[in-house]
This record gives sequence, structure tokens and C-alpha cells, in this order.
Amino acid sequence: MAQGKTRSTSAATEGRIGPTAKVRGRVSGEGNLVVAGELEGNVSLRGELSIERGGNVAADVIEADSIAVAGTLTGEMRVTGRVHVAAGAAARGDVSGGALVLDEGAEFDGRIDNDFTLPPELGGGSAERPRRRS
Amino acid sequence: MASTVIGAGITIDGDLTTDDDVVIQGTVRGKLTAKDGVVVEQGGVVEADIAGGAMSIAGAVTGNVSSTDRVDLQSGAKVVGNVRATRITIADGAQFKGNVDMDV
Repeated sequence: MAQGKTRSTSAATEGRIGPTAKVRGRVSGEGNLVVAGELEGNVSLRGELSIERGGNVAADVIEADSIAVAGTLTGEMRVTGRVHVAAGAAARGDVSGGALVLDEGAEFDGRIDNDFTLPPELGGGSAERPRRRS
Repeated sequence: MASTVIGAGITIDGDLTTDDDVVIQGTVRGKLTAKDGVVVEQGGVVEADIAGGAMSIAGAVTGNVSSTDRVDLQSGAKVVGNVRATRITIADGAQFKGNVDMDV
């Protein structure tokens, strides 16, 4: 799978939660958000949520266009794009809506739920809803 | 670049605490505590009590402001609440309603 393209190039506003910062509450809105500190609360973002090494996000539900984890993340991930978990990072929670990319050395605990069409040679042609347990 | 930036499109409903500085271009509702500088840029909205170091406010703040250093209300700022600081400036064009408490 393609790697090294986790950073989106959109010119949307950048938000950043610094390494000593702690946010407790709901975060919503538009634009990319980088978490180097701690975020405890639900996230609803039209943009990329990026968790840096040392950063930690704990939530019930995290909605974002895409999520890049280099720190730790706990919560249900609902994305339109993909979730990328880097080496040394940990993500816990179910992923729905998009794709999941795990680098070697990444930790993941959860269910992956996404729709895709199997190629015809595998008897596909109709959308399958595979459920895998990692 | 400031260590924590709440971008223009982003809203936080809750508490934001940091040992460093913070720049608000979006919206914060709840409580805002920093050990260093706090900048509320034009367009930024804070509906919260703010505590921190030196502060520069050019956006809208509803809540009490408490600084261990100075507070500068820039032109275009709209502040409703009490301000406590060692030094304070209110620029021409800043709107301010509340009490000022200066440690003397």
C-alpha cells in the first residue's frame, strides 16, 4: 500500500494542540488539526486529524476526513479517507467508512468495517461487507 | 509559531489548558488556561474565562480575563468581562465593558 502520503496538501487552516496542552471537551469544525498534546473528547472535523508522536487522543467517536496516528488514539474512527497508523503508534477502536493503513510496528486493536467490491475472479461483482478481527 | 493554535474553522467546547502560549483564531467555549502568552486574533471568539501570561486580544471575548503580566486590547477587540492584570492598554477602537483590577 502506498505510504508516506499521509500529510494532506490542502491549504485549509491548521490548528495545533501543543505538547504541553490539554483539551477536555468537544472539538469540531473545518481544517486540519495536529495534536502533539492531549485531547480528551469527541472530535468532528472536516479535515485531517494528525496525532504526533507523544500526542494522545481519547474519545468515544472521532469523525474526520482522514486520521494519521503517530502517537496514541482511542475511540471509534469514522473517516471518509483513511486512517494511517505509523510504526510505534497505537490505535484502539473500530474503523468505519474508509481504509486503514498499518505500518510495520504499528499497534491496532479494533474492527475494520468498509465496503468494497471484490474482483470478478473472486466471485465478486457485488459489494461485500467483510468483517475482520485483528 | 505558537505551540497551540486553534485555527479559524475550529471550535472547542470544553477546557483548554497549556503550559505554553496559545493563539485563538477560532472559537473556544469553556475555560482557557495558559502559563504563557494568549493571543486572540481578529475573528477569534472566546466565551470563557481566560487565565495566562501576557495577552493580546483583537477578537471577541466574553468572560473574565486574568493575566500575570499585561493585557493589550487591540483595535477591533470586543471584551465583556473583568480584566485583572499588572498592566493594561486599551487601543482606540477597542470595545470594553467590565471592571479593571490592576495589582498596585
